[in-house]
Amino acid sequence: MTTRSAPVVVLDYGAGNLASLAGALERESLVAVVRDSAASLPDAGTLVLPGVGHFRAAKEALVERGLWKVLEDAIVSGRPVVGVCLGLQLLAEGSEEAPGERGLGAFRGICTRLPASVKVPHMGFSEVEARALPDYVPPPPRYVYFVHSYALPVTEETALVATHGVDFSAACAKGSTFGIQGHPERSGREGQRFLGELLRRIARREEARS
Amino acid sequence: MRASRVASRIIACLDVKEGRVVKGTRFENLRDQGDPVELARRYDEEGIDELVFLDISATNEGRKARAAWVMAVAKELSIPFTVGGGVSRPEDVRELLRSGADKVAINSAAVKNRGLVEECAAIFGSQCVVLAIDGKRDPDGEHRVYVNAGKTPTDLLVEAWAREGVARGAGEILLTSMDRDGTREGFDLEMLAKVTPVSAPVIASGGAGSMDHFSDALVAGASAVLAASLFHEKILEVSALKAFLAARGHTVRLP
Repeated sequence: MTTRSAPVVVLDYGAGNLASLAGALERESLVAVVRDSAASLPDAGTLVLPGVGHFRAAKEALVERGLWKVLEDAIVSGRPVVGVCLGLQLLAEGSEEAPGERGLGAFRGICTRLPASVKVPHMGFSEVEARALPDYVPPPPRYVYFVHSYALPVTEETALVATHGVDFSAACAKGSTFGIQGHPERSGREGQRFLGELLRRIARREEARS
Repeated sequence: MRASRVASRIIACLDVKEGRVVKGTRFENLRDQGDPVELARRYDEEGIDELVFLDISATNEGRKARAAWVMAVAKELSIPFTVGGGVSRPEDVRELLRSGADKVAINSAAVKNRGLVEECAAIFGSQCVVLAIDGKRDPDGEHRVYVNAGKTPTDLLVEAWAREGVARGAGEILLTSMDRDGTREGFDLEMLAKVTPVSAPVIASGGAGSMDHFSDALVAGASAVLAASLFHEKILEVSALKAFLAARGHTVRLP
């Protein structure tokens, strides 16, 4: 069934891996647009903040393109935001990767470097376990693909937990803001379906609210 | 929560030349193995964990227009993939990431320009910077780094170069044994054991010939094991390999 819902808006800030995400959305038959500035940005639809890169470089690129402000406004107004990998970290209060640099602050906590007792980056498929999983989030895949050196510690906003030397937030949720540390678009067919279903459910929820 | 370890990754490597997947022995005698997009789709369905594409013609013959097949592969795949070959500037990394590569492997250029890994890691993050090292055993037992598709010896030893690469920000080491590449005699475990103490994950490459070889490499500390023709020519089934490794006590991603 096709609904005329607002498109998914993938934010492009020059350092993110857009093709893999866009490919996954396409395979899930989701209508998505890629935008690299605040101008010509649709005023509705879930904002997807992808992530590969350095916390500070990503923030600077987002600020430069006016997208940081778009995200801040979205968090305040309740427009859905989905952060992936570094996207989740940018939604937190900050990161040890860029000391003193403020994050978007949607999620409580500062991202910390994974412990030296394990291989860093944490790279590969790890199992995740549900914590405070909001009802709009579909069942997660058993294995999620992770590639990261920093992670948000577990808080009461943690939706999924994974372990790599230490328990960390594999996903966080607060209001309409959701962040996932792993890459569902690279977690096999199951992960791709999860991402598609998540975005469809968020869109339906928005429609029901408007 | 269970202190679950990250699953050991099984990686298929596709050497690409002029847009076709090829495989040779000791970097020579290339044989055609098929279309990269078709092979990528097959591996995704078979449950491989990751793919590595190495454009082996690029280093010597200049940078090629890879964007098209990288993009086509990215659209097909639901698993991560790395692309390497002739990557010498941050712009190359940016272009490959934008085309859909999840990680980019840097080999010869990282030796020539020691700041390159650092520069790329600062812009794109360590997690997408793979340092590819081609190593070969010297007569005295040391393992030497070779560049330019294995044609040129350097004054670097693999363990020192891997350590330096990780210190400079490489998020992963792709360690290929030139002695074993394509021979199916097993991974060079001696070389592997010299490198795996680095803090970043190490992919063992070159020499896979049996399921035991994969297990041996994981025991030697590899985070991932890579093979090419063994998978392309369907000598080993991915599902059977994973079941074997699980039975040996390794953590693998099972369907």
